[in-house]
Amino acid sequence: MRVLVIEDDADAAAFVKRVLGDAGHTVDVRGDGDSGLNQARGGEYDALVVDRMLPGMDGVKLLKSYREGGGRAPALFLSALGEVDHRVEGLQAGGDDYLVKPYAPSELVARVEALGRRSAADAPTTRLSVGGLDMDLLSRSVTRDGAKIDLQPREFRLLEFLMRHAGQVVTRTMLLEKVWDYHFDPQTNVIDVHISRLRGKIDKDFEKPLLHTVRGAGYRLEA
Amino acid sequence: MTAGGLPVLRIGRLPTLVRTTTFRLALLYSSVFILFAASLLAYLYYETAGHLERQAGAELNAEFQELSAAYRGGGVDRLNQAVTERSSARGKFFYLLTGAGGDKVSGDFDVLPAEAPPAGQVVDVKFAYDARTPEGDTTRRAAEGRISRLAEGGVLMVSYDVEELGEVNRRVTNVVWRSAAVGFVLSLIGGVVISRSAARRAELLTRTTQDVMGGDLSRRAPVFGSGDEFDRLSEQLNAMLGKLERLVISSRSAGDSIAHDLRSPLTRLRNRLEGGLTETSADAQRAALVRSIDDVDGVLDTFNAILRLSRVQAGASGSFRRLNASGITDELAELYQPVCEEAGLAFDYRHDPSLFVLADRDLVAQAMANLLDNAVKYTPTGGAIRLKAQRSVTGEVELAVINSGPGIPQQDRERVIERFVRLEQSRTLPGSGLGLSLAAAVAEAHRGRLALADGEGPAETPGLKAAVVLPAA
Repeated sequence: MRVLVIEDDADAAAFVKRVLGDAGHTVDVRGDGDSGLNQARGGEYDALVVDRMLPGMDGVKLLKSYREGGGRAPALFLSALGEVDHRVEGLQAGGDDYLVKPYAPSELVARVEALGRRSAADAPTTRLSVGGLDMDLLSRSVTRDGAKIDLQPREFRLLEFLMRHAGQVVTRTMLLEKVWDYHFDPQTNVIDVHISRLRGKIDKDFEKPLLHTVRGAGYRLEA
Repeated sequence: MTAGGLPVLRIGRLPTLVRTTTFRLALLYSSVFILFAASLLAYLYYETAGHLERQAGAELNAEFQELSAAYRGGGVDRLNQAVTERSSARGKFFYLLTGAGGDKVSGDFDVLPAEAPPAGQVVDVKFAYDARTPEGDTTRRAAEGRISRLAEGGVLMVSYDVEELGEVNRRVTNVVWRSAAVGFVLSLIGGVVISRSAARRAELLTRTTQDVMGGDLSRRAPVFGSGDEFDRLSEQLNAMLGKLERLVISSRSAGDSIAHDLRSPLTRLRNRLEGGLTETSADAQRAALVRSIDDVDGVLDTFNAILRLSRVQAGASGSFRRLNASGITDELAELYQPVCEEAGLAFDYRHDPSLFVLADRDLVAQAMANLLDNAVKYTPTGGAIRLKAQRSVTGEVELAVINSGPGIPQQDRERVIERFVRLEQSRTLPGSGLGLSLAAAVAEAHRGRLALADGEGPAETPGLKAAVVLPAA
């Protein structure tokens, strides 16, 4: 993926560049809003990582201008925790995701990669399929190798999210945000328990597991 | 106070007194009182001495009119006859009628006590005369009269004795002035006394705040139990000071606690990294790094919790909407039921209908998640956790987590809500010690409170009921 990072703090920018670079992505860095906007308009990027507080033009304004100019690359806002209430504002300005500092590198990679596939993940579709696992979004039914699997509504949403991001690492925080709409991390392993229940339903009676735990990061659904 | 402040205090004494509310109030008080007393006394004078004077004047007028009518009707002879009659009747009035040359024609006096006016005119005069007492002595008495020159040149005077009237007048005037003087002094004293008591209360409040600013956070303003404005002010001030004291103490200890709480994971991290250096196999090194990342994540979590708590306590967080609180607990029940079952705990959820509150869903959910996290952590396997959303007897909305764990002893309940406080028994379990602080801060941000009480178990292991209590909306 080609990623543009717009971040004025040189150390933070270098860190993001290294983390995303290590994950195999091509990263360009700009240090202020104006040059960042020009670069975003000029280059073909798969994702933008934008710091909310920037010299010159702040992140929200930058993204608004970019969207008004027809820019379509999905964008992730980085924000200090003090501005956590501005999440909605950021998303309204055309942001696609919001990550509060400090964050774990794996979280950043997972979210940027999720953004890159966003167009695929959000595409209107009626069927999702991973390996032998099939999900019919209209009848809300799930089968694996033709065998019907009964899921609770929340389990269905959890599996749908995992299937839409098949092959990608999905963090616990992402699941809490996207499936449960909670923007905090409970101390207990609530997500692990729900994943393990889901795993019990989709993987238990089959030889090849689809739902993998990625140590230190989260989960990945992959054939 | 510093030695440098003293001379200023001495020089500034008088102007300071003038500036005080006491002085101004006293002045205002006595001004109002004096105004009132003055009008009262003026009215008193008008109705007593003034009335007698006006009455005497009116009677003189009437008498003079009658004599003038007699003169007009029958000339000097008729007048002479009337004067002689009246004079011998020994009424209220004294008369003198003279001829054109000033010689007495009839009446009580021998000579005019004052110059007669020109023809056709009338003058009012005051004079003194010698009266004969019943014992045969003579005394000088005051009189007032009216003199008029008749058309033929003679003079008519009608007068009356004002000695008695003057005496009444003098006495009433004396009473008025003396009362005014005494009233002025009394009102000044009253004003000073009344406003001094108010000022003394204000002074007590001032001294309390000075002591608190001086560093004695435990000082409180005295409350006298009269329930007056000063008592209410003192109570409010004391409540504010109590909150301030708790905040100061918690932030004082928070610094220590943060250092203490972060030192152990950081030390562990350092040791692990050092151990990783000595490992020779790539797998072992990798494993050390992976565990180190977990440690760092733990530290980051604590930082996030601290920042989030600060935000909530500063009241800068949240978007509040009217919503049904059972919606929040429904979702949490669904999220936590598998967790409880996994931990070998029975889970039970109940809620009343329409529990509307003005709340930030995410904040309340987080507070409740903290309570549920605690319950899962501290309830021994085989126990039970109950989530309850209900309307309390006082009409508030109570979101309670009840567990069958060991509970929290009564004396520790207030303390565990403070930042980083963890009871000895729980030191070994993971956790930042911020969960209850955050739940309490969230409750307060919603104008509610975090209530800790015994659970539903038997006396020896009562368990714990932790409830976020929110005002109904």
